Amino acid sequence: MASNDSGKTLLIVDDSKVSRMVIKANVLAVHPDWQVMEAGTGEEAIAQVEQRIPDYCTMDINMPGMLGTDAAAQILQAHPSVRIAIFSANIQEAVQTRAQQLGALFVAKPVTEKSIGQALLHFRGPL
Amino acid sequence: MSILNEIERDALTEIFNVGAGRAAQSLSEIVGDEVRLSVPSVEVLRTAAIDEQVLPRTRGRFATVSQKFDGPFDAEAVLLFTEDRALSIVRDMMGSQMSLDELAEFEREAMCELGNIILNACLSAMADMLEITLNSSLPQYLVSSPEDISDRLAATRNDDSYVLVLHIDLVIEKHQTDGHLIFLLSSSSLHALVENVQRYLGKIGLA
Repeated sequence: MASNDSGKTLLIVDDSKVSRMVIKANVLAVHPDWQVMEAGTGEEAIAQVEQRIPDYCTMDINMPGMLGTDAAAQILQAHPSVRIAIFSANIQEAVQTRAQQLGALFVAKPVTEKSIGQALLHFRGPL
Repeated sequence: MSILNEIERDALTEIFNVGAGRAAQSLSEIVGDEVRLSVPSVEVLRTAAIDEQVLPRTRGRFATVSQKFDGPFDAEAVLLFTEDRALSIVRDMMGSQMSLDELAEFEREAMCELGNIILNACLSAMADMLEITLNSSLPQYLVSSPEDISDRLAATRNDDSYVLVLHIDLVIEKHQTDGHLIFLLSSSSLHALVENVQRYLGKIGLA
């Protein structure tokens, strides 16, 4: 893994604690030095980003309150440098297109080692 | 008494939301538009409690699609919509230019198809994530009164039977509707399900 990958911060946004923990465990297994922040709603995520801008973000879509795609749009508008992977069980074309339009990567749930691998590749950006 | 702890309930909700996402993808191909389908809550109740907690919220008859399945645990899954909601879903699925008579003719088939899609998507998500194999029977469509449903539940009810109740939100063509997906489980099947969820949580390092 590229050395400029070290010491990054990742914000995990998901209303499911299980999903947050799976993402966190898998990411830390590959990048033990990353700092992980968590949020359970889109509103919470936006508030956390105002406190501290993460390098990367994983975002669920269906959560109580605002949609994850709307939260991602707001975060990217204020901070275009944040790289976002949108994790969703909603795999419809329209949803995937929305994620792409935002410049985020769409990743289909369930959260697995493989889907997290896709997100990590996206975070690293083009080599 | 709570049968599932917080993390087990969370895991099951995620599993059913993955299932709902797969079902929404199939339904959106049928209606040619985006479909919103989510499972906001999962709860386990004693069979006896379902009358008060689920059935009296509505008057009139229910359209039900049921499917039995077996594997590491056996259950009967019943998808439950009120009859008027079922008809409006069928209208959205078949196209609004149809007359009511024509719709009624297609109701059984369309509801079986809807049930088949939702039930199989949920079962396949559960099978994939828990790494088990579940076999299912063909879906059966029935229009029943709340009393009929109570009677059906009573037939399987004994001191140690449970129901897993999922609330379902469905939006097709901007029409919001809601229903329930109910799994009827014996006590031993419920325990087998919980064990499988715990095994899943253990594998991902959470139990």
